[in-house]
Amino acid sequence: MSRSVWKGPFVDGYLLNKAEAARNSTRNEIIKIWSRRSTILPQFVGLTFGVYNGRKFLPVQVSENMVGHKFGEFSPTRTFTSHSSDKKAKRG
Amino acid sequence: MARIAGVNIPTNKRVLISLRYIYGIGPNNAKVICEQLAIPADRRVNQLTDEEILRLRELIDRDYRVEGDLRREVAMNIKRLMDMACYRGLRHRKGLPVRGQRTHTNARTRKGKAVAIAGKKKVTK
Repeated sequence: MSRSVWKGPFVDGYLLNKAEAARNSTRNEIIKIWSRRSTILPQFVGLTFGVYNGRKFLPVQVSENMVGHKFGEFSPTRTFTSHSSDKKAKRG
Repeated sequence: MARIAGVNIPTNKRVLISLRYIYGIGPNNAKVICEQLAIPADRRVNQLTDEEILRLRELIDRDYRVEGDLRREVAMNIKRLMDMACYRGLRHRKGLPVRGQRTHTNARTRKGKAVAIAGKKKVTK
């Protein structure tokens, strides 16, 4: 079930200010954010965010086709472990 | 033999059924197409006139994305997810379920056939 259109995309408000500030400052620094639940908006394109995954801030360079996804999708929270004999399980 | 949308050669079945042999046309689309061209439900493909087949071909070429084009679109969508390195893309890369299903058990369609773990002893009673 997708979100109602009339509500608009969900973004934590303070991100907008942070993004704005980062745009105005010429230095390309990583914006640290905890708000994994926020939607990536068109005005974030080109900026680099450090998305917290519970342990580290993973740098995410926002590109055109990431718009509409959430920040959390780009910062995996689980470490993937597999057995060494699992080669066959991998496909494609 | 009728060729519609490239390589597809539906047989001497009812039009409604044989259209579904085309990748991208399912029960619903087949029904809509038949209604649009006023083809009765019990008409078989080998009973169609040449003109009707032509109309079918035209309609599908014009309004529907089928076969290669559709396959390419789907592949591109998956590739887009993988290139973005988002969660769904990573799941596609690893060949694991994408939509949050459990992987503790099951998920064999995505993971392929079960591989025995070397050195694991079977419990005997």
